[in-house]
Amino acid sequence: MGKDADNTSKWQVAALATLGMILLLLPQLVSNGFALDIFIRILLFSFIGVAWNLMGGYAKQLSLGHVAYFGLGAYTSTIMQIDFNISPWIGMIAGGFVAMLASLPVGWLCFRLRGPYFTIATIATAQALMLIFLKFRDFAWGAEGTTIPNLGSSPLMMQFETKASYYYVVLGLLVLGLVITWRIERSWMGYYLVAIGEDEDAAEAIGVNAPRIKRHIYMISAFLTALAGTFYVQYIYFIDPATAFSFNISIEAALVSIVGGIGTLWGPVVGTVLLETTSALLQSWLGSSTGGIQLTVYSLILMAIILWRPTGLMGLFNDLWQRHLDRRPARMRTLP
Amino acid sequence: MTDALVVTGLNKRFGGLRAVQDVSFTVKQNETVALIGPNGAGKTTSFHLITGFHRADSGSVLAFGQEVVGLKPHDVCALGLARTFQVAKPFGAMTVLANVMTGAFLRDRHVIAAREKAREAIDFVGLAAREQTPAKDLTTIDQRRLEMARALATQPRILLLDEVMAGLNPAEIDQAVALVGKLSQRGLTIVIVEHVMRAIMAVARHIVVLDHGQKIAEGAPKEIVENPEVIRAYLGSGYAGAGGGAHA
Amino acid sequence: MLETVAQAVINGLLIGGIYALVSIGVTLIFGVVKIVNFAQGEFVMIGMYISYFLATYFGVDPLLSLLVSMPTLFLIGVLVQHFLIRRVLGPNDMPQIFLTFALSLLLLNLALLLFTANYRTVHTSYSDEALHFGGLYIPEAKLIAFVVAMALSGALWAFLHTTDLGKAMRAAAQNRDVATLMGINSNRVFCVAFGAALALAGAAGSLLMPFYSAYPFVGQVFVLMAFVAVVLGTLGNVLGALVASVMMGIAESLGIQFVGADSGLIVVFAMLLLTLAFKPQGLGGGRMR
Repeated sequence: MGKDADNTSKWQVAALATLGMILLLLPQLVSNGFALDIFIRILLFSFIGVAWNLMGGYAKQLSLGHVAYFGLGAYTSTIMQIDFNISPWIGMIAGGFVAMLASLPVGWLCFRLRGPYFTIATIATAQALMLIFLKFRDFAWGAEGTTIPNLGSSPLMMQFETKASYYYVVLGLLVLGLVITWRIERSWMGYYLVAIGEDEDAAEAIGVNAPRIKRHIYMISAFLTALAGTFYVQYIYFIDPATAFSFNISIEAALVSIVGGIGTLWGPVVGTVLLETTSALLQSWLGSSTGGIQLTVYSLILMAIILWRPTGLMGLFNDLWQRHLDRRPARMRTLP
Repeated sequence: MTDALVVTGLNKRFGGLRAVQDVSFTVKQNETVALIGPNGAGKTTSFHLITGFHRADSGSVLAFGQEVVGLKPHDVCALGLARTFQVAKPFGAMTVLANVMTGAFLRDRHVIAAREKAREAIDFVGLAAREQTPAKDLTTIDQRRLEMARALATQPRILLLDEVMAGLNPAEIDQAVALVGKLSQRGLTIVIVEHVMRAIMAVARHIVVLDHGQKIAEGAPKEIVENPEVIRAYLGSGYAGAGGGAHA
Repeated sequence: MLETVAQAVINGLLIGGIYALVSIGVTLIFGVVKIVNFAQGEFVMIGMYISYFLATYFGVDPLLSLLVSMPTLFLIGVLVQHFLIRRVLGPNDMPQIFLTFALSLLLLNLALLLFTANYRTVHTSYSDEALHFGGLYIPEAKLIAFVVAMALSGALWAFLHTTDLGKAMRAAAQNRDVATLMGINSNRVFCVAFGAALALAGAAGSLLMPFYSAYPFVGQVFVLMAFVAVVLGTLGNVLGALVASVMMGIAESLGIQFVGADSGLIVVFAMLLLTLAFKPQGLGGGRMR
């Protein structure tokens, strides 16, 4: 491979360092609340997308029910905080484990199915969970939900005065998600996940215990998704079943990954930047009163990607980069 | 020689169809056995039963003395039985190297070690020049080679090859025959399902003939082509000529 | 008590006829084109809006507007198959699932933009009429909907079993390769299947209009019901989908009567989960090894 590969990885490290610096400094440079809010949304949905992508992208288990774990995380930490005065930092981890446990029976049911029927089963289980939280009032405030008491500045209770602090928390979550994905992608597990996504029978034939691998990645994915749930309700100081189990979160988790590049490390981040920026621009042009416009545009982008670029924006970038390399003088290229 | 694979009284029914009926045969260690028969004779179903993709209704399959009926395909593979599929199933989005590394991870979870093992297997089947090619861009014969390399990377003791020569031209068949010979020299026990008579004659020391799910004959290649019942089973499907040709 | 049960069964049976139209469409597309159409419910919604606008602005009876909604949706179905679905057919699940899912999102949100989230109803002369048998009553609008739904289902069944095109469809459903060998033009067959499935969804919409409100999300109720019915009745099986839909209608109605007014969905999910837990071999028809 030689020089080109070295140069490429040097470029990658430099780009990553620059990106890291920008992301760290961003809240210092931007004090506009609206803009920070958008950055926080981008980081949050990138993180949810990264969590979804581990199972949906690499192993191609196309779930549209990931909000189940988002909601479980949100409710676990909120119940612990309000009823037992336990810090959401602890509640967040607890919520992750609750989601992990919940993914076992859900997976047991849904993994019996393949393809579109797996997807439908995940939708149904998430909806069923929302119905449970709607129905049982004494258990979790029913349909009205509850506001989370505002304690002012209380970092130990995951409450901050400035949006910048929330920004750093969710940036931390995203970095965690990316590091986990990066580690998995490069290990035997990453190979096994892609193999299962490509052809489960062929994977089994070479010794891949597909049900076990799917179970494990579902647990990891659910755990991470639950962390996002806790963060979100802490950020908006409110929880109800319609928010915590909103189908739109399941949709966006899958959408950002597919648009950005399914089964790639950076795909969900790239996809979220495109979708959330589009959505923010639409909102500032048309005002937030026009219901339906955001998802109309999202669905058009999704259709365009599927019809013309099923590998997503990452695939597009790779093709362009490849073309750029091909155009360079022959002496700079290495022979195969 | 010890017995590598002992199949006894294997049965499988699909609704009203008895796909495999009371099939028994034995494969000795380091022997190459061919499973032949007309279409729908139950050859591929037998492979599915042996490798855990279907569960046998009754009967037993012992691999080096261990019962495999009831095990999942990945457990069967871990015991040392690797297979290929009639229609090759490469992981299309992965490179050739990544495909084979996935097989190698069964015995060693370290990436560097798996890469070494994989390169060895890729070299062995003659795909080294294609190492970085995405599997979906390979030709048919190269996809079959890839399947063999992937199976080999799991370090099997018994290799089950399902029609690896179908659709190949005569020159490619010669290459494939040579490859199977090489595998056998390495000490592998091979069970091969094949239609190409010329290839079977070249590689198999022992032949088992299935028809309508039942074993109708078994023996050395020479005996098989002279067996009147085998000729009758093949008559009309164009293979009687192949038998006659070898006869002459 | 017995009367309450009987009344609930009647209500469920009648609405089950509508569910059947949606389910048969889903199962027809799955059987022939081999994809799951996530947007099927949104085509029911389009059928409802067609009937609503024809009734509101031109005074056309919803039943009469069947003659508009069915051909319109047939045409939409042909176009969707020809220009969208055809491009994603293949071994890969992801584009198929997310293309029809995107279509569902698009139609739903377009409806939200164009028509707002308001509930819209049409009042007909027979909307409040009912036939009485002792203590039991049968709402006329629902009875008409059920009878027409059964007639349409029967017509589809006859089409599949007596016409050449219908037989070609069944052949394509059974074995794609054989159908191609027989010289069947698969895209044409797929277009007709998709069109027919959408026409049934459109019919369901028009038939619902005299006694049900139109709103952008209305299709989701029906499509969920259809997915469960199609799984219960074995994928790709028209008669199975019909029987399962009627059963689901009855189960839902009994649930509403004896568990609580908003327990309909819970019954549906419970049935889906029970099916998954106890009858997985009937699922994923042909997709499982």
